[in-house]
Amino acid sequence: MPDMRFAPPNPLRIADRASGLNAPSVRSYNERLVLSLLLQSAGISRLEIGEKTGLSAQTVSVIVRSLEQEGLVSKGEAQRGRVGPPAIPLSLNPKGAFSIGVSFGENAADIAVIDFVGDVQHHAAHPYSTLHGSGALAAKIQETLAALPPSSRTRIAGIGLAAPNETGSHRVRDLLGSDLIDLQASIESALNLSVYIQDDITAAAGGESLFGVARSLPDFLFFYLGSHLHSRLVLNYQIHSGRFGMSHDVGLLRLREEFKRLGLVLEDVGSETLPRAAAEYYAEWRRMCCRQLVGSIRSLLSFVSFKSVVISSYAPPKLGQTLCSELHEEVPEVQFLYGANSIAPKAVGAANLPYHSRFMVQ
Amino acid sequence: MPVRSVLCFGDSNTHGQIPGRGPLERYDRPTRWPGVLQAELGSKWYVIEEGLSGRTTVHDDPIEGAHKNGRTYLRPCIQSHTVLDLVIIMLGTNDLKVRFNKPASEVAMGMGCLIYDIRELAPGPGGSVPEIMIVAPPPMLDDIKEWKSIFAGGPEKSRQLALEFEIMADSLGVHFFNAGAVCQCDEADGFHLNADAHRTLGIALAQEIEAIGWSVAEHQR
Repeated sequence: MPDMRFAPPNPLRIADRASGLNAPSVRSYNERLVLSLLLQSAGISRLEIGEKTGLSAQTVSVIVRSLEQEGLVSKGEAQRGRVGPPAIPLSLNPKGAFSIGVSFGENAADIAVIDFVGDVQHHAAHPYSTLHGSGALAAKIQETLAALPPSSRTRIAGIGLAAPNETGSHRVRDLLGSDLIDLQASIESALNLSVYIQDDITAAAGGESLFGVARSLPDFLFFYLGSHLHSRLVLNYQIHSGRFGMSHDVGLLRLREEFKRLGLVLEDVGSETLPRAAAEYYAEWRRMCCRQLVGSIRSLLSFVSFKSVVISSYAPPKLGQTLCSELHEEVPEVQFLYGANSIAPKAVGAANLPYHSRFMVQ
Repeated sequence: MPVRSVLCFGDSNTHGQIPGRGPLERYDRPTRWPGVLQAELGSKWYVIEEGLSGRTTVHDDPIEGAHKNGRTYLRPCIQSHTVLDLVIIMLGTNDLKVRFNKPASEVAMGMGCLIYDIRELAPGPGGSVPEIMIVAPPPMLDDIKEWKSIFAGGPEKSRQLALEFEIMADSLGVHFFNAGAVCQCDEADGFHLNADAHRTLGIALAQEIEAIGWSVAEHQR
């Protein structure tokens, strides 16, 4: 029998020199621990990683080196001139991984591509009139992939689907089919990428939490202002949902319909020359919306303490900002943040799902 | 202020052999990479040089002598220099001499033995295992002049050392650095480092050592 101490080497990660991403199964718990830290805080040193994870310096060294080789992590310049030894900051490489998110609106499906630091690389809304048949969604995702630079195409972490929890229009149901599991399987086999599904409001909240305005906020109350108003409570980075399907009838649907009746669209909200009737309705709608939001916030504040409220919407940023400042006047002890992902909050949020599943500790 | 110790355990390229010159011609301390390392790290580190020309990982050299065996010398060497915070090992080139007839993977196994031995000796603070860093030597050039029969097949094997060493470093969970990423051998003989290469390597290793991260609190044990 040979001395087993001198058995052939059994490397944790090394020797995988493929240009794409490694298979999900290869990623160890410790590696996810390091990646989670980097996803949450850019520019930390190996020493800080060791202190926060409890991993030894040599383990951190092995993991960071393999992540560097995989192109997921990049090294910054050594920072000298401080007290103590100089630190070399580590950050995620924005081009290290990409992820696709899909959400389903009233009239169109949104497809978004984000990079490894959460920046939106591509977004398009595909009207349901252009999506026919069961393979239509996979085909559109395929088109989106084909538009990316070739070097990025091998680095797709996966696809996140924001599943609508409103029953939605029949066109959405037609597109998604009766069972999401079947849709998941058919996209996975068509594109050879992993598909992750989450309800769309939770996905939007997760998106703001990982890369958006709520980054580094452990606790906040999240409102999604879509056609209707939805909410989630985030405590210690965990997203909680209340009674499912609960939504308040004060969303953008009413505002949009009233504007439509006046020959306007939602984007006119910021216009200087808004007709008087529209301006009055807009103010009235904001009062209603504020009343509903303030009611929820105040009642929740008597049970849990949080200092931030995040409002996410695809509405024009001007609407969100006005609403936030009006809310802050009502509840001055809380800060109101308007979501960073207004381009397509649910799709961008859904694009975070593959990162959570593949790179982070749960 | 407490001073940390690093042992640089290597061969002629740690000793500072001048490329293409006589056996007694050696760069001075500030020129050799451990000297560069000392200058870069400053007074908070004590850099110990242990470079012997012809040193192998684990082989008695039938021609140059049994004392070229890195494994047998490592033990007294480490014990002489305790307490050590870090041990850097840059070896492997001499194992590629045709007399040993070893593939690159077997040279990496030799490096693995040295790591086991350091762990057993536990020469770190308070009897702990110190940080260990394997450095893969820069590959030999194709033209190794009059050494080509002694090192027959060596240049090709030398290009495989970095990957084999890295596999070993990952398996055993130690630090790794590929010297070939920052410097190359001098054309005078094809396998020794010139003054520029020593300088680049010393600076790069200082960065690597700093990147390990040395907590101030931990050092007051």
